[in-house]
Amino acid sequence: MSWQTFILHLFTYGILLYSIILLACYLLIGTFSIMETRSYLHKNSFTDYRVLASSTEAPSMSILAPAYNEGPTIIENVRSLLSLHYHNLEVIIINDGSKDDSLARLIEAYSLYKADFFVNQRLKTKPIRGVYRSSNPVYRKLIVVDKENGGKADALNVGVNIARSDYFVCIDVDCVLEQDALLKLAKPFLESTTQRVIAAGGVVRIANSCEIEGGRLVKVNLPKQLLPRIQTLEYIRAFLLSRMAWTKLNGLLLISGAFGAFDREIVINCGGYNPKTVGEDMELVVRMRRYMEELGEPYKVAFIPDPLCWTEAPSTYRILGRQRNRWTRGTIETLRSHKKMFFNPSYGILGMLSYPYWFFFEFLAPIIEFFGVIGLIYYCFEYAVNWQAVSIMIGVVCLGILYSIFAILMEVLTYHQYKQKKDILNLVLAAILEPFVFHPFVVWSAVVGNFDLMRKNNSWGEMTRQGFTANKKA
Amino acid sequence: MKGRSLIHLLSISWQIQNIAVAAVVILMICLLTFMLAYMLSQSLQEKKKQKWRMISDMLINKAIFFEERDEIEDQILASVLEAAKKLTGNKQFRKFITGELISAKKNISGTSSDSLKQFYLQLGLEQYALKNLESRQWYVKAQAIQELTIMDTDEFIDQLQAFTDDKNEYVRMEAQAAMVQFKGFEGLDFLDVITYPLSNWQQIKLLQLLSARPPSNIGIDKWFNSENPTVVIFALKLARNYHRFELHDAIASCLDHEDPDVRLEAIRCLNEIYTDETSDHLIGHFLREGLRNQVAMAKVMQTVGTKRDELFLFDLLTYDSDELKLHAARALVNASEDGWTSLERLSNRSEDAIARILMHIKAEKAA
Repeated sequence: MSWQTFILHLFTYGILLYSIILLACYLLIGTFSIMETRSYLHKNSFTDYRVLASSTEAPSMSILAPAYNEGPTIIENVRSLLSLHYHNLEVIIINDGSKDDSLARLIEAYSLYKADFFVNQRLKTKPIRGVYRSSNPVYRKLIVVDKENGGKADALNVGVNIARSDYFVCIDVDCVLEQDALLKLAKPFLESTTQRVIAAGGVVRIANSCEIEGGRLVKVNLPKQLLPRIQTLEYIRAFLLSRMAWTKLNGLLLISGAFGAFDREIVINCGGYNPKTVGEDMELVVRMRRYMEELGEPYKVAFIPDPLCWTEAPSTYRILGRQRNRWTRGTIETLRSHKKMFFNPSYGILGMLSYPYWFFFEFLAPIIEFFGVIGLIYYCFEYAVNWQAVSIMIGVVCLGILYSIFAILMEVLTYHQYKQKKDILNLVLAAILEPFVFHPFVVWSAVVGNFDLMRKNNSWGEMTRQGFTANKKA
Repeated sequence: MKGRSLIHLLSISWQIQNIAVAAVVILMICLLTFMLAYMLSQSLQEKKKQKWRMISDMLINKAIFFEERDEIEDQILASVLEAAKKLTGNKQFRKFITGELISAKKNISGTSSDSLKQFYLQLGLEQYALKNLESRQWYVKAQAIQELTIMDTDEFIDQLQAFTDDKNEYVRMEAQAAMVQFKGFEGLDFLDVITYPLSNWQQIKLLQLLSARPPSNIGIDKWFNSENPTVVIFALKLARNYHRFELHDAIASCLDHEDPDVRLEAIRCLNEIYTDETSDHLIGHFLREGLRNQVAMAKVMQTVGTKRDELFLFDLLTYDSDELKLHAARALVNASEDGWTSLERLSNRSEDAIARILMHIKAEKAA
């Protein structure tokens, strides 16, 4: 056997082995997801959220919404937050040094005045320029903080310092929440008796092409454009399968920065959001878990499969690339900061399962895939077409499509948000197209993200959004 | 030989790969077919429900407009009930009609509500629910308890009582709610025996159910000695919500409880039920507590603090926690008329934080 053949076999069987382990993970994720979702749906059928909505015993919640240059949409977005169903609520908008007229618009629309406000600086942040309250009692729940620009993590830390509630919910100000989103998110904190729930997340769905009126979702539609449609499928897969499965194992590492609730005391005790990473959402959850593991206290990160938050997905490759580049850098930074936990049995599931999974199948997967495909193309051109390797590739692609179809099936069996048959057909088509028009670009963006991190490029990457105005019902 | 066996091995693995790819494709087709079949069956089910809805609508209408019933109407009702009873053998129909009656029952009260209960019993649906109480699946059991509770079938109260300390939290939650629904405050006697914790969610639900009942002077204090800390917490909430001032000393004695969550609830309770001695109790226990409970105590001092507590409150201003300082400053301002002046004097010669806290309180007062 020549050395070229040896390398080829090593390469081919290496990829095959990796794929088999990945397949096993997919099977386990699918199984655990079915178990957890079934259990949740059964439990949820006994829950009357109206009890919590009207109860004075409901725990207080603070919504933290950082805003940067959100001028054109901020008034509507804040109005939408103020109308959420929850008894003990405060809404804190953090203007992170916007260069536009966001603050002026808020002052005018909500009759704000600069108040003397004592900020308990438990987390270090950039200076606060002023805290504003409304002179109109209708908006007594609202607090607007104006601060120097310091990024999303820094803005959230300011919010954590100002919040007075035991729990806070961080959201992207341009997201649309379901009216009962907070009630549903509060429940895990209230029902656990044996473990302390340190954080809870809910499903984020894609709002492109949906009908939004007055900051409320009126009608769910499948995105008309291909890229957002594929992301719809991707989100269903990630939230309904992956996160539910990790919740079953109590190994969830990520709660979306777009929408998640946290135990304020634990967040403060472990130092708040890290402003030095672009993946502050994942980093915080990992740090909170690590803190609880080191403390030796029983804890849980909860996740509920109800669609609670709707967000606009990138509709161009340029913006999508920036987003995925940032996600990759955030993942690597988080894994690097907590490398102590890698296969460390003293961190339990977190060290032995969650962290290694993220390392091998979230961080390494795009790199292996990228170099695998490049290697295969090179070999085919230089020597001959290796049908065995091609067959493995086809198998992996088919497996990906199968996994996506399973995710669609789970969606149909559970929440069935897309009622029309043609929507389901379009989702299946998206599943078939994804490996060819979407996935290679995501892999490429992740590889670029790795290079950018090596070159110490830590920019956030501008996320231009079209806004929901265009989707409003005529 | 070695080369030939390697080739043979490779050829086998090549075949396995092809079989695996084919299997994945077949599985994909199966999933798609299942999805299609499921969607078709759902739409067929929906059509069937449209027909059944005529029956349920008629029953609910007859229940609501019971006063307008005459002999002919009664005959129609009897035939509808007869037709519905025949269909109860169908599990789907049973589920449907029960769901409809339950959702109507939740929104109707008085005689109409009693009529719905009668229809439920005439259709024999309670027999199915009683059978479901023996199910091995917790959600079937819990659903049966919920159904019997909403339909006001208090004749089965003894059967339901047995589930109040069930090992499944949802089964016992429904059974406990049933007891309160049927017997009001008297129904809380399950608190004497439960060994499992009462979640905050369940406590909120029970308090909500009790709020629909006239206040009662049942003996709450026996639960302050419960070995189940969540029962003590719930009892403290009851005392607070129903302003049971006579229990002040018993509540204050909970400040010695070994569970910090119980002590926290006792502190909160003292904010509502207090006497001239409450601040002494709080001050006496202050140093034994962690920061969370100390902050809660400082908050309560805003309500119960008096001029004689000034020394203690000024001492709190020297602590590291700014949150403690803020509450202590508020308490000082509330405690006496010259509290404000003393604070201003202190702010002129002490750290910046006190001055900022003072401005904050000033703004609060002005708002």
